Amino acid sequence: MKTYAVLLALSILTTIQWTFSASTGDAEVFLKKSVGEVVGIAKSSPNSSALAESVRPLLLRVINFDAMTRRAVGPGWREFSDAQQKEAIQLFSTLIIRTYSGKFTPGEMPEIDYKAATSLAPGRVEVSTTTLYKGSQYNVVYRLEETGGWRITDVVIEGVSMVANYRSQFDAEFRQGGPGSVLEALKKSASNP
Amino acid sequence: MKKSLAILAAAAIPVFSLGAQSPEETDIVVITKDGTQSAPLQGGKGRKNSNQTLFLRSAVEERPSKTAPLKTPEKKPVRAVKPKPSPSPVSRAPEIPVPAKASVNDKPRKSLAKPDKPQPKADANPDIRIRKKAPVRIENDDLDEYSNVATIADPAEKLNRGTFWLNHQIYNYVLRPFSKAYEFVLPAPARTAIHNVFDNVEYPVRVVNHTLQLEFKRADLETRKFLLNSVAGVGGILRVSDRIPELASIPPADTGQTFAKWGIDHGAYVVLPVLGPRSLRDTVGMAGDYALNPVSWLTYGGIGGATALAVTGPGAARNVHSRMKVYDAATENAIDPYLAVRSGYIQYRAEAASK
Repeated sequence: MKTYAVLLALSILTTIQWTFSASTGDAEVFLKKSVGEVVGIAKSSPNSSALAESVRPLLLRVINFDAMTRRAVGPGWREFSDAQQKEAIQLFSTLIIRTYSGKFTPGEMPEIDYKAATSLAPGRVEVSTTTLYKGSQYNVVYRLEETGGWRITDVVIEGVSMVANYRSQFDAEFRQGGPGSVLEALKKSASNP
Repeated sequence: MKKSLAILAAAAIPVFSLGAQSPEETDIVVITKDGTQSAPLQGGKGRKNSNQTLFLRSAVEERPSKTAPLKTPEKKPVRAVKPKPSPSPVSRAPEIPVPAKASVNDKPRKSLAKPDKPQPKADANPDIRIRKKAPVRIENDDLDEYSNVATIADPAEKLNRGTFWLNHQIYNYVLRPFSKAYEFVLPAPARTAIHNVFDNVEYPVRVVNHTLQLEFKRADLETRKFLLNSVAGVGGILRVSDRIPELASIPPADTGQTFAKWGIDHGAYVVLPVLGPRSLRDTVGMAGDYALNPVSWLTYGGIGGATALAVTGPGAARNVHSRMKVYDAATENAIDPYLAVRSGYIQYRAEAASK
């Protein structure tokens, strides 16, 4: 009886350990798969606007736009009403999708070298990559978070974080006119092709 | 929840128990589920076979009666009303680098909860309330995550915005057509070749700065890369070194970055005509890069104008072309292109300096 208990405890322990180490591995696998799919779509797209359109459903699935929008707006987010938050997330997703897919040229294949994921906090990892694209090398860092499955929360290209970059712009809008001003600016940029 | 109620009740019950429940008023109390009650003493001693712990009334009742009046009135407002941060919570963020996970959010909350009781003593009760509010806190905790991102002072913003606008016109009406023509005239492999040649020739800029930063290993790698590409890569046309991981990923080096590593701050942000965003430090650094760049030596080497242009021309075209790409990437989809470029520039330079 005792041995069974010990064995059980051991197996539970190893399972815990395994799931723990596997979670960062999961993030890596998830990222490789997602970026691979984006690259695949980029390769077969005839032009950039078609690319943004066809990559949209995929990105909506793999990027955590809620978290991105919230953090890009900053503490002022609390002053947004529920409806305003929803609208902001929706508009910002469009911008991010356009920005991210704009990094890919239809027909070109990047060579991406993934480094091992580093854990930032429980449920948060960072995966550095070097991307050889059109003859130049770029350092691209993906940040991921687990919220019932891994999703991307930021893309940092050559040290420039997408979310932080928007944060500096939203801050200025927010200071000018609160949530209304931010939404107005978002609408303007989103409708600008 | 139950516990906090019990403790609240603890504050109230003694008042009743004074009159109704306890016949003899003593200084010794027991703590029961319903609060403190005068201990049922038998001749000045505790009941036999009882494991009740006795307390001095003054020791036990002081605490709940102090915290209770504070808590009761604000309990509901905290939950119901969306906590409004100070009028301009955001305005503070760009200027002051707050350490990661800065608790700009936490501060107003904490002070709301217990305005004049910062001691950990009172934590027994607030603890319970915090747990109850957990979902709200987690959701909002990450709001200020990006407040510690690199920023730069921009005292001349008005002037800079003017120059930025001017540059935008120059880019759109002069350089973009030029860049397009360059793309049209030269196929991608040729452009890559030109880029590689000029990049290779700029070797002194990198090796001198690596050395000034005391990165001798990098200077050595840079030298090997230069020799390899110059010889095996036919004067740098082919970047053979990309196939060797050690040589493919040498961090870049320039004079502005060297200054950064020496501890010199950016100074103010400036937008230079045509050249675009710089900090004052990097503007000086640019002069250093120029002095270290062999291509610029030609102009001072007694070479005739036409020859110099023939040599520097492709390099300039390549610079314009790559700068246009960066500019477009930074301003496309921007809310405010000026701020997008400024933030991008400063983040990029912070990253370069950290390598």
